[in-house]
Amino acid sequence: FSAEDEINLLVIVVDVNPIWWGQQAQREPELTLSKCLDAVMVLGNSHMAMTRTNKLAVIASHCQDSHFLYPNKNWRGGDNGGEDASSSGDGKYELLSVANNLIAEEIRNVMTKKVEGRQTFLLSSLIMLSNWHGVSYRYLLMLPFLFSVGQEIKSRILVVKAAEDCARQYMNFMNVIFAAQKQNILIDACVLDSDSGLLQQACDITGGLYLKIPQKIALAQYLLWVFLPDSEQRSQLVLPPPAHVDYRAACFCHRNLIEIGYVCSVCLSIFCNFSPICTTCETAFKIQLPQMVKPKKKKLKQST
Amino acid sequence: MASLSEEVLLVVKKVRQRKQDGTLYLMAERIAWGPEGKDRFTVSHLYADIRCQKISPDGKAKIQLQLILHTGESTTFHFSNESSALKDRDAAKELLQQLLPKFKKKANKELEEKNRMLQEDPVLFQLYKDLVVSQVISADEFWANRLGDMNNSDPTPYNNKQDVGISGAFLADIRPQTDGCNGLRYNLTADIIESIFRTYPAVKQKYGENVPHNLTEKEFWTRFFQSHYFHRDRINTGTQDIFSECAKQDEKGLKSMVVQGVKNPLVDLLSLEDKTLDEGYGVSTTTPSTSNANRTVKESSNAAIIKRFNHHKVPFFFSSETSSTDGNSRDSDFFQPPVKKVRLQEAIEYEDLQRENRLKTVALNLKKSDRYAHGPVPLQSQHYTTSQDIINSVNHIRHEMVNYKPNLTQVLSSTAASSAITALSPGGVLMMTGTQQAINQMIPTEVQGELKHLYAAAGELLRHFWSCFPVNSPFLEEKVMKMKTNLERFQMTKLCPFQEKIQRQYLSTNLTGHLEEMLQTAYSKFHVWQTRRMLRKT
Repeated sequence: FSAEDEINLLVIVVDVNPIWWGQQAQREPELTLSKCLDAVMVLGNSHMAMTRTNKLAVIASHCQDSHFLYPNKNWRGGDNGGEDASSSGDGKYELLSVANNLIAEEIRNVMTKKVEGRQTFLLSSLIMLSNWHGVSYRYLLMLPFLFSVGQEIKSRILVVKAAEDCARQYMNFMNVIFAAQKQNILIDACVLDSDSGLLQQACDITGGLYLKIPQKIALAQYLLWVFLPDSEQRSQLVLPPPAHVDYRAACFCHRNLIEIGYVCSVCLSIFCNFSPICTTCETAFKIQLPQMVKPKKKKLKQST
Repeated sequence: MASLSEEVLLVVKKVRQRKQDGTLYLMAERIAWGPEGKDRFTVSHLYADIRCQKISPDGKAKIQLQLILHTGESTTFHFSNESSALKDRDAAKELLQQLLPKFKKKANKELEEKNRMLQEDPVLFQLYKDLVVSQVISADEFWANRLGDMNNSDPTPYNNKQDVGISGAFLADIRPQTDGCNGLRYNLTADIIESIFRTYPAVKQKYGENVPHNLTEKEFWTRFFQSHYFHRDRINTGTQDIFSECAKQDEKGLKSMVVQGVKNPLVDLLSLEDKTLDEGYGVSTTTPSTSNANRTVKESSNAAIIKRFNHHKVPFFFSSETSSTDGNSRDSDFFQPPVKKVRLQEAIEYEDLQRENRLKTVALNLKKSDRYAHGPVPLQSQHYTTSQDIINSVNHIRHEMVNYKPNLTQVLSSTAASSAITALSPGGVLMMTGTQQAINQMIPTEVQGELKHLYAAAGELLRHFWSCFPVNSPFLEEKVMKMKTNLERFQMTKLCPFQEKIQRQYLSTNLTGHLEEMLQTAYSKFHVWQTRRMLRKT
């Protein structure tokens, strides 16, 4: 078993939320979605160029669903031959040019086709993060069967995130995190705009790196510096230290993050204030309050 | 001074102490002596303080009783009544003999308990050292909360003294030593005597009857060992022996017990006899004997051994039976069926093989289960986007991406790249948090250990302090003031030197900030209470 036989798979999940990117294009035109995709492609190419056995997958995460940009249904596996005259003509390693073209084509399809018919649905005031997590994980589960027996696959996921977290997918997300931890799959996160508590937890639990980049235009540099090395190589490098993760729970009543709270012993729901009946499971509780001292009726005290 | 409620058990007049005439009083919890004519006691000792008592030997002219205390002091009482001195002294001695053991155990028990607690719990021991040995609080306060259940009626399992059993070979262990001229010398200790009394209650009875009126102790035991009662063969030929009665008593006792029967309905003692199947299987009853005399000697010696054996085993057999039938022993005929049933039931059922008793469960009834799915993210999102914005954004993106072509040569400018590299290099913006080492890696372990002890001690003191509030009794008032002085003393003697020490070691971290904060809170609370109290008084 040599290092050559080991396959390193990098799955890059790109958040292509059109609402955020559209607004971003108007806010800071230096980093547009195109530029972001270019940077991601650079990272993908670099990864594949490092070792012959490295594999790549790119997933675009849209509002409601996700799509494989690479490999996709147009990809016919290693044997392209000369059928597709899609090489870029600059002497590039053919695998890379094929990959790039496929990605570009697919993202065009994704971004242009999805919008009609969904406009009414998108007219909401909440910005949602799409369910990229479910798709990529399922992909990773399929992998051992796509390759021949005897090949070990080490995989990691890099999430390039733009928009904010959606609280409604919390359970799915946590399940995916723990499953990834069990399978020794690292989850890294490169965050462009606002910090995501969920991704911080994911990185902390699986052992990956979480980075919120200060300069969006230098995205490619950050990707190459921090996220190109795999987990073994990272131990030899000086990389940004892990951030402090806020593991506080949120109370069920207000969704405030609390440090000390009340937990119902029957249904384990968390509250920030004591209430005699748990609102989730309707169990009645008694708590011993400190004895109320009866105010003594005395002459009026001198006010201090 | 004697309290009126103390019960006086014995009064002995004409008892001298230190060449002074007086009266000796034995009360419920102490012994006291007062001089003649005076009302008060000059000497008073609690039974708990007395370690042991001593009496003067019989031959001496002076009849004295000496009390030795745990501290080593001793007090001597001289009984000087011409007629009844000896009787008085003996009466006092016997009463003391009964009372002292009761109190002795209690005092020792407390000390033992304290020692045990300190030994078992190193944290407690450290706390004790920090607080009591350095005199921050007194030992009484320290033990006040912890020995709460010591004085309860039921003692802890550790202190339950079990009766020491008798070794089965105790008689054989009294190995006699030859004293040179064809005699045997037996060494008897109080333990052996007690064992003999417990095994042979008849002997105890005889002892009570004969000693010291008819025989001295020495004579009694000599006769005991000489008697055939003691020896193995136990042929009860001699009737002058006072112990032959014991043997007869034992036999009678055995017979009655057998007749009474065992309470266990599954055991029928009377049907136990040698049963033979045929000649050669078991004992045959019809063997013609060669000579009567031989048989009787042999049989009787066998019988003697068997009797001895039975005598030893019978108490076990019968006592265990009575304890296990749980009070069904009153009217055995009437209650026979249930007892038998219980017995049979016990024999055929095994508890751990039964099916487990399922506890009654209550179903979980969740009304709002979607709450669990919501993550620790606030419900309201920060951004509010108008529908027009959304349409604009989407269109913009669509427009941008419809002609997307990767332009990988223009991805990064060199300035952007170099600034990113600077941020990622050691000392850069993104690397700053790494230099903050965990505090426990920077402080040496002894300092950490000391800090832990300080926290434990401070916590204990603060617990005492805060438990005084609300202050609604004069006892609590005193305690709260005492605790405040204790806290101040603790701060001065323990906290400040520690702070200075770590400052000298150039440790700039503030390790004691929190401790000081806690102490300050306590002081301010005390101050508030004190001012309120003053106002109330005015």
